[in-house]
Amino acid sequence: MDVTPTWLGVVTHLHVTPRAFLPMRGMDAIELVEGRGIVGDRYMIGTEQGFYSDKPEDGRQVTLFEEEALECIRRDHNITMLPEEHRRNVTTRGVPLNHLVGRRFRLGGCLLEATRLSFPCKHIEEILEKPVFDPMVHRSGLNCRILEGGTVRVGDAVRPV
Amino acid sequence: MKHVQTVVREAEPAGPGVRRLTLMDPDGWPLPKAKPGAHIDLHLPGGLTRAYSLCGDPAQADRYVVAVKREGDGRGGSAFVHDALAVGDALGVSLPRCTFPLAPDAAEHVFVAGGIGVTPFLPMAMAAERAGTPWRLHLLHRDAPPLPDTLAPLAESGRAVLHDTARTPRPALSALLGPAAPGRHAYCCGPAGMIADFEAATADWPAGAAHVEHFVPPPLLPDPEARPFTLVLARSGREAALPAGAPLLPAIRALGGAVEASCEGGICGACRVRWLEGPPLHRDRVLSPAERERDVMACVAGCAGPRLVLDL
Repeated sequence: MDVTPTWLGVVTHLHVTPRAFLPMRGMDAIELVEGRGIVGDRYMIGTEQGFYSDKPEDGRQVTLFEEEALECIRRDHNITMLPEEHRRNVTTRGVPLNHLVGRRFRLGGCLLEATRLSFPCKHIEEILEKPVFDPMVHRSGLNCRILEGGTVRVGDAVRPV
Repeated sequence: MKHVQTVVREAEPAGPGVRRLTLMDPDGWPLPKAKPGAHIDLHLPGGLTRAYSLCGDPAQADRYVVAVKREGDGRGGSAFVHDALAVGDALGVSLPRCTFPLAPDAAEHVFVAGGIGVTPFLPMAMAAERAGTPWRLHLLHRDAPPLPDTLAPLAESGRAVLHDTARTPRPALSALLGPAAPGRHAYCCGPAGMIADFEAATADWPAGAAHVEHFVPPPLLPDPEARPFTLVLARSGREAALPAGAPLLPAIRALGGAVEASCEGGICGACRVRWLEGPPLHRDRVLSPAERERDVMACVAGCAGPRLVLDL
């Protein structure tokens, strides 16, 4: 049986930062560039300055994180983690990110292809001074490649194709 | 990129033998947050790292300010900072670490500093002032004090007291600290002799009310099973003695071993290495029992025996 995806989500927060370790900055809109990354972000291919930029990765052009995961971490571990603290670019609501590996979907008008699940990084505990590594395992977001670029705004729809 | 990238925006004399650096992101982006009392490592040429307390206003989120005193023999990191580092130069630094925080529940802070040891107390005093918590700073120095421009307004307010021990007798720390009192926290940063005096003067204070800066980062994962062992890289024959709980990855790299790493928390699998003698203490969450018979995830591993020999 071929099941047609029925979810429909929304972009709730957008964040970028130009270099490893620096605080993420909230944005109303970001510019995705096909095959490269986000204008002004540390993992834009060609101008990479991220923590993992010594390990180039074509499938890490934009990263997403579920707002619901932040709520789970608060509910299950009593740790408040803010959207600017998970260090992914796009915070979503209503998008089953873990189910999308290998699939294509629309982020606003852009087309993304999910390449793999994100892993949490132990260093995030040092940056945040919060014990979030274990709580983030298996719900640490999604890495994607940009197939069609464009502007993404807070409030944009996220939907299957 | 494993450090915070900064540029030297200001470099100026700040008291005898002291050079003060203002470090900022190349684009002026906010830097990672630092608690009052925190220090950073400066990553200097030749693999030198030197820890310095942040001494600027903690409310200024876009800069790290450090004051570096030239050390006597003039060959190490301080000589580079004084003689070679220039405005506009790039400088990598670590994340701020705070091993000397203000006690959150204190009713009163008493800071005792020796010379350049005053640096962590400047942001701590500013934060206490803003929080409305009473504080007092005693600085023991000889001749001109360090950071006179920062200290002057604090001294004028009467809350910072400068004791020039070249002109007046050295005060007893017990007299400066006063007796232990509910909510009173005492802090000391200075030369080893002064810290010993401070510890003697506060020996009968309640546990946790007297604080000393040691510049030692806290271990991320205190592990009661951890024990010291000798790390051996089989292919080069190089070895190093590791203290209990020492992280393995930096030790491998210091011996010239090449190992990938990513999450550094034992889940992603990037730093898998074959082990030849051990047995390792496995703390990862990716290897099966059968795989653990042969391989180890280096980022989180320890050793149950006296020697851990890796196929590197």
